[in-house]
Amino acid sequence: MWIEVGHFAAILALVLSVTQMVAPMVGIRTGQLAWIRVGRYSAFAVFGLLTIASATLIHAFMTHDFSVTYVAQNSSLKLPTFYLATAMWGGHEGSLLLWAWLMSFFIAVAAWKHWKTHSVSMPWVLMILGGVTLGFLCLVLLLSSPFERLLMIPPDGRDLNPLLQDPGMVFHPPFLYLGYVGFAVPYAFAMAALITGQAKDEWILATRRWTLFAWTMLTTGIVFGAYWAYYELGWGGYWAWDPVENASFMPWLTGTAFLHSIMVQERRQMFKVWNLFLIITTFSLSLLGTFLVRSGVLSSVHAFATDPGRGMYILGFMAVMLLFSFGILVWRSEALKADNRMDAVVCRESTFLFNNLFLLVGAITVLLGTLYPLALEAFAGAKVTVGPPYFNKVFIPVMLGLLLLMGMGPLISWRRAAQGQLKKNFVIPAILAVVGIPIALFLGIDHPYAIVTVMLIMFVGSSHFIDFKRGVHSRMQSGSSNPFSAIWRMVGRNKRRYGGLTVHIGILVMCAGFIGSGMFQEVQTVIMQPGDKVKLSGWELTLDRYHKVRKDNWTATEAVIIAVREDGHSVTATPQKRKYDNHEMETTEASIFSYFWEDLYVVLGDRIPGRGWAIKAYRNPLIGWVWYGSFIIALGAIVALFQGRRLKKTQEAN
Amino acid sequence: MGKLWKFILLGSIVLILVLMGLGLGRDTKKIPTALLEKPAPILRGPALAGTDTIDIADYKGKWILVNFWGSWCGACVGEHPELMRLDRLIKERDDFAVIGVDYKDTRRGAMAFLRRHGTPSYPMVFDPDQKVAIEWGIVRAPESYLVNPDGMIIKKEYGPLVRNWFNTVALPLIEAYNAKKKPGAS
Repeated sequence: MWIEVGHFAAILALVLSVTQMVAPMVGIRTGQLAWIRVGRYSAFAVFGLLTIASATLIHAFMTHDFSVTYVAQNSSLKLPTFYLATAMWGGHEGSLLLWAWLMSFFIAVAAWKHWKTHSVSMPWVLMILGGVTLGFLCLVLLLSSPFERLLMIPPDGRDLNPLLQDPGMVFHPPFLYLGYVGFAVPYAFAMAALITGQAKDEWILATRRWTLFAWTMLTTGIVFGAYWAYYELGWGGYWAWDPVENASFMPWLTGTAFLHSIMVQERRQMFKVWNLFLIITTFSLSLLGTFLVRSGVLSSVHAFATDPGRGMYILGFMAVMLLFSFGILVWRSEALKADNRMDAVVCRESTFLFNNLFLLVGAITVLLGTLYPLALEAFAGAKVTVGPPYFNKVFIPVMLGLLLLMGMGPLISWRRAAQGQLKKNFVIPAILAVVGIPIALFLGIDHPYAIVTVMLIMFVGSSHFIDFKRGVHSRMQSGSSNPFSAIWRMVGRNKRRYGGLTVHIGILVMCAGFIGSGMFQEVQTVIMQPGDKVKLSGWELTLDRYHKVRKDNWTATEAVIIAVREDGHSVTATPQKRKYDNHEMETTEASIFSYFWEDLYVVLGDRIPGRGWAIKAYRNPLIGWVWYGSFIIALGAIVALFQGRRLKKTQEAN
Repeated sequence: MGKLWKFILLGSIVLILVLMGLGLGRDTKKIPTALLEKPAPILRGPALAGTDTIDIADYKGKWILVNFWGSWCGACVGEHPELMRLDRLIKERDDFAVIGVDYKDTRRGAMAFLRRHGTPSYPMVFDPDQKVAIEWGIVRAPESYLVNPDGMIIKKEYGPLVRNWFNTVALPLIEAYNAKKKPGAS
């Protein structure tokens, strides 16, 4: 009975999302505010109704209501309680509902917060977001409804896919969706700015924090996904350039570009059309990601059960949205002219310009690599997959170029940089970058890319440090004698700037992790019997025994392996091959030991009859830095989020 | 924005949409085999039961269905009745043989599987370390290849054989092949 309530609520929400689209239009036509208000209240109602709908679905999971098809397919009596609630987004239907629900939440917040401040854009924002909600709710209700009932009630459900019975999976989809959906609000404001022709800074101010929030969530979601892949899939890596990973990475790249280029618009009233283009692209790529995941166009680890009808629908939805958005952009772009021009080649604006170019080139290369198999099959009938070699080849240079710019940005002033200032600012970072070469060689790094990365890390690190030190110094001179209170005041006054610089440091730490784990991973694959030993650069692994383990809803074969490091430090690895009771498939539970400089990663492979089991042992240098870096990024982003609406006129340190 | 940029932007969007549309109908689960229209790879190995060595070369001049399976594979249970039916059908024909390959498996497991679901009369190769399966490019189980009398692979079946496979799939191929060959020449 409850699920019908939820179903009905979702249908009502769909009807009201139409109201949310139409009423503001009538309001604009007739000039009556009441109509626009109707649109606003519809947005609140849609959120309330979708909350009810989602709650009933979660309730069905909690109460083991297997008469609901979706519950029967994604849950079972034995499923641990923790996963019962989160199984709601364990499958296609529920995750789309989650998407729609988060979307309605953001729309409600936007309608509530920006109602007074952005009265001109608001009706258009409501209309556009109503349209997006409508599109999603049609998909949820007509093509993939989680509210369907079964005629024959099964005694037990099919259980949640074992790969998803993992804390990482609980957080990965919601965060990713918060990111995707978060871009919808800035997108709508950008469209409103285009339609009303008021593309001044109003929309930038409204959307800055939204964008930053969405970007933070998306970053977190991607990292959660990578981490989950690392410890759950048991292949020793965390990023495979899988089409769906790319689908989440592309909006990240363009979103990052947008975050940087809006600063130029704020400061110098340039890049207006470009910013509109970037945010529309970012949201489009978010939708494209959903399309790729949900339509089964590309084969990937995320390939869920798919049906062509669904794919057709999403494609239609995408086509309408893309052609509408970019059509308006092209048609209205003439109305927007920059107030300023670049004054000089060397100035902060141009570092932003190049940063944007690099990020966009990165996004385009990823897009090409993702779509190339599609194109080749469509036009030549051949099947190919584009793998890591292509992406690494094209992406590492882009990454290094971005690092170089990152080091330069903070030390170059706006408008025009004076020669003397440049010399003064860059002498120390440049010297340190050169010092990076012997350091790299000393660490045994011989690959040119890795050496350049070490140099750039020195360069960026020192340039950021100098910038920070200078800020503290000038504050100390102007009255606050205590360096800590100086730092506190400086960061407090300029949360965005120093939050952003913190994010840079996080990216730097991450890049070190990428290079370390990507280029220096070592692996041993051996078939082992109890008593066998294997060496892995600094570790010696001895297989003690194999035995069976049984827990909650799975049984497993477990290998007990004693690993001893050169310095005598010893750990016991217990990698497993798990078989969940209701599933044919086995999952691999890697045994991971994380240290500051490296991870030891042991996986139990296939059984080789009569000869024992295959054991794969990896040593992943610096892989932990990828996760540490993401923490620093999150920290910096949160600091930046705390900055208020208006940019305070603070004294720039330079 | 210049005219050229507008054109490039809208053009690439339309192109992406068209590509997606074309991509919709594909089956991403099928990994194409490079062996089609090529001579069959070597298939030699110990029999699952007994001590013989089975070699595909001994069946030259016949149609051969090479079926890869394992007792660990759920879909193979579903396929098995169709194989048993095929086994009965080909007893009456001397131009068609079936070779089973039991891979990544233990003898005990495979024997138990056959005791439970029926033991066909055609030969089975035991391939515990996947030597044969890798040679033949097997991705999942069950998968089967159809080899024509010239020793050429002409079809790969992904997943279980369809119901009444011999009459619906194999016979038309055999008839087409025989029609090509001049009567009298073999």
